[in-house]
Amino acid sequence: MLGFFIQRIFQAVVVVIVMSVLVFVGVYAIGNPIDVMIDPAATQEIRENLIAQYGFDRPLYEQYFIFIGNVLSGDFGESFVYRIPVLGLIFSRLPATFELATTAVLIAAIIGVPLGIWAGYKPGAFSSKLIMALSILGFSLPTFWVGLILVMTFAVNLHWLPSGGRGETSDLLGIPLSLITPDGWSYIILPAFNLALFNLGLLIRLARAGTLEAMSSDYVRFARAQGLKESTVVGLHVLKNISIPIVTVFGLEFGSTLAFAVVTETIFNWPGVGKLIIDSIMVLDRPVMVAYLVLVVLLFVIINLVVDLLYGVLDPRIRARRSS
Amino acid sequence: MLSKKNAILAITLAVMGATTLSAQVLAEDLTIGVRAGPDSIDPHWSTLGSQAESLRHIFDTLVGVDKDLQLQPALATSWTPIDDSTWEFKIREGVKFHDGSDLTAEDVKFSIDRIPQVTGPMSMTIYTKSVASVEVIDDYTIHVHTNGPAATLPNDFIRLFVVSSEIGEGVGNEQFNSGEAAIGTGPYKFVSWEPKGDLVLTRNDDYWGEKPYWENVVRKEIPNDASRVAALQSGEVDLINYVPATDYAAMQNDNRLDTFIADSVYILNITPNVKDTLPVKAKVNGVEIEANPFQDLRVREAFDLAINRDILADVVLEGLGKPANQLMPETFFGGSTDLPMPEYDLERAKSLLAEAGYPDGFEIDFACTNNRLPGDAAVCEALSQMWARAGLKVNASALNGTVFFPAQQAGDFSLWLSGWGTLTGEASYTYGSLIHTADPEKGLGAFNKSGYSNAEIDALLEEGARTLDDDARRALYEQVTELSMTDRAMIPTVIIQTVWAAEAGKLTFEPRVDQETLAYLIQPAAQ
Repeated sequence: MLGFFIQRIFQAVVVVIVMSVLVFVGVYAIGNPIDVMIDPAATQEIRENLIAQYGFDRPLYEQYFIFIGNVLSGDFGESFVYRIPVLGLIFSRLPATFELATTAVLIAAIIGVPLGIWAGYKPGAFSSKLIMALSILGFSLPTFWVGLILVMTFAVNLHWLPSGGRGETSDLLGIPLSLITPDGWSYIILPAFNLALFNLGLLIRLARAGTLEAMSSDYVRFARAQGLKESTVVGLHVLKNISIPIVTVFGLEFGSTLAFAVVTETIFNWPGVGKLIIDSIMVLDRPVMVAYLVLVVLLFVIINLVVDLLYGVLDPRIRARRSS
Repeated sequence: MLSKKNAILAITLAVMGATTLSAQVLAEDLTIGVRAGPDSIDPHWSTLGSQAESLRHIFDTLVGVDKDLQLQPALATSWTPIDDSTWEFKIREGVKFHDGSDLTAEDVKFSIDRIPQVTGPMSMTIYTKSVASVEVIDDYTIHVHTNGPAATLPNDFIRLFVVSSEIGEGVGNEQFNSGEAAIGTGPYKFVSWEPKGDLVLTRNDDYWGEKPYWENVVRKEIPNDASRVAALQSGEVDLINYVPATDYAAMQNDNRLDTFIADSVYILNITPNVKDTLPVKAKVNGVEIEANPFQDLRVREAFDLAINRDILADVVLEGLGKPANQLMPETFFGGSTDLPMPEYDLERAKSLLAEAGYPDGFEIDFACTNNRLPGDAAVCEALSQMWARAGLKVNASALNGTVFFPAQQAGDFSLWLSGWGTLTGEASYTYGSLIHTADPEKGLGAFNKSGYSNAEIDALLEEGARTLDDDARRALYEQVTELSMTDRAMIPTVIIQTVWAAEAGKLTFEPRVDQETLAYLIQPAAQ
């Protein structure tokens, strides 16, 4: 088990190093951040002073090693645009994105898995066909378009829900959250549903495929022969057996929803980290880009780790193999 | 029966009273959906337009501007040159900071001296570059000593925000963003802000100038155009800026919304590269040629004549544009009212090209931005089609600003379209940067990437910078405008117009040419 952890951490370190090199080279190839940010009226002298001040006149490898040295002492640097520490900047926005992504994948799982199982359990029924048709819409309609339609319908025409923003937040253990108050829910429900749609479609299809296959397997027949109730057969035995692919996809999708919620955040003006990162890319704010991507890598590593551990919980065979 | 009726009446009255009361309370507040906000609450951090716009609520500038960007008194009540390198500013008396302390000349000196220490990559030193030192004469007088004559110093100081000297040195963005150091003299007091989030303000009841109407103001940053429009339509915000052209057309028929339209300071200009060799060479019949066709004035003129500016304004920009014949609005200091509007004349363009030795036209690359100003990419593509009718093959490529600006700075383009806003309202800002020969030692021509160099224009611009008499200077700059435009150093196309939209009957204001949406200049609509 310990070897397993060490291997994972080693992998993460390699990915982080490769990625930081890529970001450095990439930004360097596009050009000098000062040229993107500088005011048109600046003189050549001001421009050169700025370039020297930020160290952009040094060779790339030197800039990189200065950065690595700072990171090793726990300093990710300051944003060029805001001149505040990047970690503070990112963590001030991260709770909003985390909350949005978590709500979205939970909506997808709570609605998607039961619907998928139903569609697999009764593949011929009209309701199942309807579910499948809707699931196709779920992952084929573009997110931004659905988002705009949701805003037009529920905010502009019906005035039921706000068109964007996050509303008042309440602190839970020092973290500002929307989910505690009804007002907060009115803000989060549309973007979360919008973000959930794709995952919803995906989970319905996965659960259906797994259920279809499981229903014709021996253990289902034996369970039925044993006289178990259908709800127990499906809800316990089938669900457990189809869980591994679902958990895998759920984990991956949670990661990418968290990291790339930017389209939804833009449409609903959700004050998350996605908007921040896009703006930072636009002005080549390198410290923010690097720090954010490092966090994303760590996030994926942690999610994959949790998913791997869950495999053991769900499947006794994997548990047995690992302990031997 | 009677008593029951009375009770109902009483309840109705009470409810009505409560509704009117709450309506009044609501009417005191204003929520604005803006496309962009500040990068920091430190007014000396960045020259970004949306930064100045936001912080103008909290801090006052030394010199003010009216809605047409012409100078007016603000914290300084008067300014006079007392010799060739000294300006005297009289500071307004009786102005108080939000913490109750008095504004004095020390605060002004502190603010000017502070800029080089704290400013960021969009460096505010462009506004203080001619300042050699600041001398406090008495509590309400300062002398600014300049490096040589600096005729435009008052124009530079329209962005000089005054902070309290009591905040001390070494204070940066974090202390300003938290509100600790956000102490100005402006019409609103700072309440809260976070990067890319809402800026919350409350009225400064001790303001020295006209007291603003709205008690609480929230400026919500909503960068996405569709989301900003939806926020207005759903009643989340009372007013939005930068309404997209497509929505503007629909809004004019919507009686629930009021719209306000105005010229901006931004003009889309074409720059032909006139260096001896083009970075990407022109091709005649598919074969690269060594000569640079743009060195011939007839070619530049042909490019100009082939542009149908009315089509650009009315069709391509969907009515949100106006033909331009110079690099800044003609009402600005040094603009020319004598320049004719270039006529669209395709035949003349073709014959000029033939005279210049290109009877079959030529092929050239054309770069432009696609995210800097509304309609920039659309105008770019329309231009290449217009030139195609004159027999030219122009390969337009619309690039993201992140890619465009470094490449432009490196001199990679042969022909390009970019927006320019004359933010200071006077000619030396624009013509000194774009048209004067690139000369780092003089600090002029920093954005002249075309290699254009005209000794006559250079001499006029330099003389203007030394001329402290306003009328004489204005005449010199008018000459610069006329000469450079006739010589097609750059080819202006259209002035971008911008639109605001508000809930119908809620408010009224006069749009400003710098497009700033300032809560303290917005009045409730007359009932």
